[in-house]
Amino acid sequence: MHLHRLEKTWLKFGISMLAVFLIVLGVMAFSMGMKPPSEHHHTVDPTKVAETAPFDNPGLNQIGKNHYEAVMTAYAFGFEPAVPLEVPVGSKVDFIVTSSDVVHGFAIVGTNVNMMIVPGEVSHVTHTFDKPGEYLILCNEYCGTGHEFMAITIVVQ
Amino acid sequence: MPKPEDKKEEPALKGTFASVMLLGAFIILTWIGVFALFMARN
Ligand SMILES: [Cu+2]
Repeated sequence: MHLHRLEKTWLKFGISMLAVFLIVLGVMAFSMGMKPPSEHHHTVDPTKVAETAPFDNPGLNQIGKNHYEAVMTAYAFGFEPAVPLEVPVGSKVDFIVTSSDVVHGFAIVGTNVNMMIVPGEVSHVTHTFDKPGEYLILCNEYCGTGHEFMAITIVVQ
Repeated sequence: MPKPEDKKEEPALKGTFASVMLLGAFIILTWIGVFALFMARN
């Protein structure tokens, strides 16, 4: 097959671009521990969320110096705990979230935290809050007529 | 019947090359933009 000189150039350019993108992604996946929220495969019976540990006692627990665990339940139409969470600046928070009914979203505005909350599955995500402020946690998966009321805040001070 | 010198004639791909490079530049810039946003929010 005969290829024009310019065709060869743009093919090399395109393939190396793809290679660079994939190498950056691959290196970061290992060096920064990036992984999808479904990485830990934990399941829960969605009809028994309120009786199943740790979701029988949703809330914020300190598990180390500047390290917290936020156990939360998403339901139509709200989050449990419903009160704003409060953590000091620099805290690392492990969010452990499940749904007791339909599919919900869990996004923290202004951060990379954004995951789906699927009934029967426990989603995990970790974020370190380095800047003080009030962060909005939103459901961003349309879940019904009260979808827009699904929001709580996390206060970092 | 094509003359023998017609066989050697290369298609003119300068314009195609320019548009491929423009598209490549657009993809690189948007990729870097998204990547920078991701790093800033991490
Ligand atoms: Cu929802």
